[in-house]
Parts: sequence; C-alpha cells; structure tokens
Amino acid sequence: MTGLLVLVGTLVLAVPLGFALRARDGRISRRAESDLPAEVLRVVDPANPITLVQLTTTFCAQCPQARTLLRDVAAHTDGVTHAEFDLTDHPGIATRLGVLRTPTTLVVNSSGTELLRVGGVPKRASMLAALEPHLPA
Amino acid sequence: MSLNAPVDPRGPRFSAWMTTVILAVVLLTGWWRLLAAQTVLFAMCAFISLKLNPWGHVYRAVLQPRLKPSSEREEAAPLRFAQGVGFVFTLVGVIGYATGLTTLGVVATAGALVAAFLNAAFGLCLGCEMYLLLRRHTPVFAHDRPQ
Repeated sequence: MTGLLVLVGTLVLAVPLGFALRARDGRISRRAESDLPAEVLRVVDPANPITLVQLTTTFCAQCPQARTLLRDVAAHTDGVTHAEFDLTDHPGIATRLGVLRTPTTLVVNSSGTELLRVGGVPKRASMLAALEPHLPA
Repeated sequence: MSLNAPVDPRGPRFSAWMTTVILAVVLLTGWWRLLAAQTVLFAMCAFISLKLNPWGHVYRAVLQPRLKPSSEREEAAPLRFAQGVGFVFTLVGVIGYATGLTTLGVVATAGALVAAFLNAAFGLCLGCEMYLLLRRHTPVFAHDRPQ
C-alpha cells in the first residue's frame, strides 16, 4: 500500500516537474555587464558584433540540438557568429560564470561583454528578437 | 563499430520506459532482487558498454524495423553518464531494502523513478544537464570520465 502511494505521489510530482523544466528551456536573462574569464574571451570573435558562446560538457544530451540551432541562427543573421566552450574539464570557470546546467548560451558583444544568457536549448524566435537591438540596423 | 558509437535516440527512450516500469514494480512489490538486477544493468551500461543493454537489442530487433528510419543520432557519453546516475540511486535503494532500511530503499527508488520517467516522457536527462553541479559537489567525477 505504501508502495502504491509513493508510486502515485512520485508520478504526480514528476509530471508538472517535467513540464516546468521544459518551459524553462530557452529562457533569456539580461546580464549586469560583467567581464568574462580570459579562457572564454578567447573564443569570442571581435570582428562580429555578436558571438553566441555555447557552453557544453561531454555529458550534455541536448548540446547537439543547441549547436544545430545556433549554427543556423549565425549562418542566417549578419553580424552573428557561433562558438563553443567545453566546461567538462574547467569546473572553476563554470563556477566563475555561475553556470550550473548545459547547454547555456552567452550572448557576447565584440568587446567581450556578456549581454544576455540563454538557459537550455534556445528558441529561435525569442532568441532573434532578443538579439535584434544589439545588431547594426 | 566502436563501443561509444552514437545511437538512435528512440532506443534510449524505449529503454527509459522499460526502466520506469521496472522501478514502478519495485515500489509496488518491494521486490528488492529486481531492483538489484536493475542496478547491475545500470552498472554494465555505465561502466562497460551501452551494447549490454537488453532493451537496446529488443528495440533494434522489434521496434526499429517498424519505425521510419531516422538520421538523428545521440552521443553515447551522456547516455552512459545517465546510466551511472541511475546506478547510484538504485544501489542506495538495494542497500536500503536489503538491510531493512525500507524508507531509504523507497526514497532512493522513487528518485530513480523520477529520473527514468522524466527521461522517458520528456526526453530530459537531469544528470546530464546538471553535470557541472554534480561535479562541483562530487570530486570523484573528475577522475571517472568514460573515454
């Protein structure tokens, strides 16, 4: 009987948890302008107004999906380029960035300042809308 | 084919549903020997090869030929990592049930069930996403990367 209650309780909690975690995907947050660690700055392209720095790990199941989308956004948007930084062997950098999950994408300008941060697999439409004010007209 | 070759992502989803059913049966019956078998299965997949997963063979033999071919492939490393997370939960569960700490057994099994269910129903792999968080609190991962 206890087992049945635990089973039902677990599933009743897991369903909204799943929807909540799904809804969090692609959420964009604005950053207080802060300097990035030098290792991350190395992948930023100063020739482009915006670099989308995708943070990954070896064990990240959704990162290939995020990579496909970001590459496509970069290919179809003037002034935007895509880069990756693997945090698997750099837990110190992950801590400094305050990143706990991957994929996380940093939207960085040409002078290396982080403007926006996108958690999870980005959503194309909201991402393009958020990038627009930072791109040349 | 290498041991870590990318796989058709629908295979692991099917496997996660089977794991969900097994863990649900364990919760209903308290049959800890079944949980022990699941623990061994997780360990084999995580530490040896995903090819040892019998559900993968069932998927390829029975389901895959009936489905549309898919060019989508998923990397093996996150999948093996997820099996390792499952292993830790079910191992604690077995220890709990087998030593009479039934509450510990039930809680750990419920934890494993949440992870397996989220994977099966939503395609979410919490352990994979939270690798950085897990690593921060468990230094063992620094030395325990499947190559």
